[in-house]
Amino acid sequence: MSDQTDPLPAETPEENQSSSPASVSSEKRTETDRLVKKNWFFALFQNPEVGPFGVMILLLLALGFFSIPESVDSYNPFAGAGFNALGIRNNTRLIAQLGIIALGAGLLIIAGEFDLSIGSMVGFSGMCMAIIMKWGFHISVPIISNTAEGYGLDWVRIISITQVDPWMALGITLCFTLFFGWLIGYIVVKTGMASFIVSLSFLFFLRGLTEVCFRAFNKPPDQTSGSTQVSGLPDAKNMVELPGYGEIERAKVAVLPQDVIHKIYNSLSPEEVEGFSQRVSFSNASVAEFKSVMLHQKTLETLNRDIGFAQESGNTKLLETLHERVAENAEIVLISPNPVREVDVVKEYVETLSSLNPTADLLGGNILEGLFNWFYEIGWNVNNYGKQFAPGLYSSVLVWGVLAFLAYIVLSKTQAGNWIYSTGGDLNAAKANGVPTNKVKISLFIFSAFCATIFAATQVFETNTSDAAKGNLKELEAIAAAVIGGIVLTGGFGTVLGIVLGAVIFGIAREAFFYIPYVDGSFYRVFLGFILLTAALTNENIRKRLTGGL
Amino acid sequence: MIQAKPVMRVKNISKKFGNFTALYGVSMEVHSGEVHALLGDNGAGKSTLIKIISGVYQATSGEIQIDGNPVHFNSPRDASVVGIGTVYQDLALNHLTSVTRNFFLGREMSVGWEPFGLLKMKEMDAITVQEMAKIGIDIADPGQNVGTMSGGQKQTLAIARAIYFGAKVLILDEPTSALGQKQQMEVLKTIKRVKNLGNIAIILITHNEIHARLTADRYTFLSLGEVIGRGTSKDLEGDEIKRLMAGGAEIGDLAAELAF
Repeated sequence: MSDQTDPLPAETPEENQSSSPASVSSEKRTETDRLVKKNWFFALFQNPEVGPFGVMILLLLALGFFSIPESVDSYNPFAGAGFNALGIRNNTRLIAQLGIIALGAGLLIIAGEFDLSIGSMVGFSGMCMAIIMKWGFHISVPIISNTAEGYGLDWVRIISITQVDPWMALGITLCFTLFFGWLIGYIVVKTGMASFIVSLSFLFFLRGLTEVCFRAFNKPPDQTSGSTQVSGLPDAKNMVELPGYGEIERAKVAVLPQDVIHKIYNSLSPEEVEGFSQRVSFSNASVAEFKSVMLHQKTLETLNRDIGFAQESGNTKLLETLHERVAENAEIVLISPNPVREVDVVKEYVETLSSLNPTADLLGGNILEGLFNWFYEIGWNVNNYGKQFAPGLYSSVLVWGVLAFLAYIVLSKTQAGNWIYSTGGDLNAAKANGVPTNKVKISLFIFSAFCATIFAATQVFETNTSDAAKGNLKELEAIAAAVIGGIVLTGGFGTVLGIVLGAVIFGIAREAFFYIPYVDGSFYRVFLGFILLTAALTNENIRKRLTGGL
Repeated sequence: MIQAKPVMRVKNISKKFGNFTALYGVSMEVHSGEVHALLGDNGAGKSTLIKIISGVYQATSGEIQIDGNPVHFNSPRDASVVGIGTVYQDLALNHLTSVTRNFFLGREMSVGWEPFGLLKMKEMDAITVQEMAKIGIDIADPGQNVGTMSGGQKQTLAIARAIYFGAKVLILDEPTSALGQKQQMEVLKTIKRVKNLGNIAIILITHNEIHARLTADRYTFLSLGEVIGRGTSKDLEGDEIKRLMAGGAEIGDLAAELAF
């Protein structure tokens, strides 16, 4: 073996075969040649996201088409209720909220584990946040007391916060939920039990705990049993500091005493007053115009109906008078718009003040308000009364977008992403290469709990209520959205873009089916079941093709 | 080419599992630029020996020396730090991701705060292609999924990875089993190319006598936990290798028995 370039001895049976084995040095066909060369078109359709993307486009078109009212003769998908400003506002919120928990569920499935506790985690964190904001946060320890009647147990408060800000409530809730997320992950990796059963246990555990906590803590001290819902929390996201008055909810400005309004009005600079007045007078003019048109239509309708009656009864004199009246009303009489009042200006001014609770505003407020104001000015974002339809999109859309972007960067562009894929793709291979697979799994269980908490926070801060039944079945919707978006349940396969598309499909399907005439709205579930099955089959096929049939 | 000083020396290794003696006084020397075939029947103790060398098990007694210095391994990581790379039969590859992502799995090159540093994908792609080419596989697309590669290519990927991450002693655990004939030849060629690099010692575990004879420079035969024969390829004649591989039984007798 001194000659290093010596070819392998020729008497071996392998070498006697007619064609030489796959080898780079030979000019014959090599193993790499067997890979089909990709052109862009082929590559595009190899993308696992193509299917979900197509379904999404179809559903969007269906929603646009079917939501056009029958009285309107148009094929413009933006003409109907599905894509008017309010429709977009409500649909994007639905999608964003599902999208947030689908991210948590999806990443975890890519790492090869399941979390069925998401829905209960949503209920639990909503309860936590609402009760803490309503009743404060206290930690009590039991001590044994010795009184005249004998020994007994006493509870002593060691920490007591009575006034809890939204960010504090969210922070305290995260301490609980992230701990539970960690606990689920820790049990799964340490015992090696299926995460299905561990998280199923926590589905029951957390839902039960939520109800117990509602009954135990959601009550004044003199009541025996609390209610399973919290309502009437202060509207934290709309709390502003009004100069010359103090803290106030934006909606309550309209009912302030006249002298307070006057004082605030006078404190504004002439330019500010000018700007706000313009907005108000634009709105008032728009309302007046809509009112005039509507009044005109109503008058004509009444007259035409009466003409019909008169014709039936043969009252020619009345008929003549009515025709005269119709001729008189041929033109629309413009109603003069309301004058700009001081209180209107102040209301506009209060809208521009920033919220005192940025956390609540970020999770439950509005975004793109400027854009929607502009839409109003160009005459699109207008409701039937001439007023602005939607103030903007829900903040949860922004939260979803940011989370999805971060998840995309982590999964596709970072070291952690490679660890997640390998943990789900081949656990033993990942371990053998030094990937901290247990840490990866536990972190993703924590992330899943985090997403559930953020979901609950957007609900609580939007509606200022909470309920023990919140988040029911959400875990299954999140998993379904992830699967529709191309995640394979056995792990190691899928993308964030897919999860996002899955959430959009899930959210739009419901709306689209609601508008299809003669079809029961609940058919959207039938449709989703069908889509889910198709998606699961397709995903499996794509995975097999990419892995060479494994 | 055969150096006087071995890169790794295993001295008098014994391993007991309770009262079962898996290995008894096993010694072997491994030289850079050589293929050392470790042969023996099932249950001879080959796997136990390589698990001790790669740090999975700790020896009950005996010593491992690297470049003349005694070393002690508590984990596979310790072994890989001093340059012992093991390519197991399952290759430790994730079939669902790309060649590059597998090449750097667990040791990714990234910029930024670990583990959320951004992957240097272009650099890693270039290194992967280059390292694979060094031992003779030209991969067209480093973004190709490992699942679509042939068995031989996968083996090469695992070997290239071990070498790139500093293996001086490369342990190949039955690299040709579960492969077709052509793929087997491809792997043997890869082994020869690695050998020809000159600075890497290879321990080859195989059941295939022909594969051993095609590549090995030195042999160690194990049977029932003991070394029953050793030598260079020049010392050993064909039938002797066959006889020792079967655990020292006379293969001729066996053939006669089977032929009645």
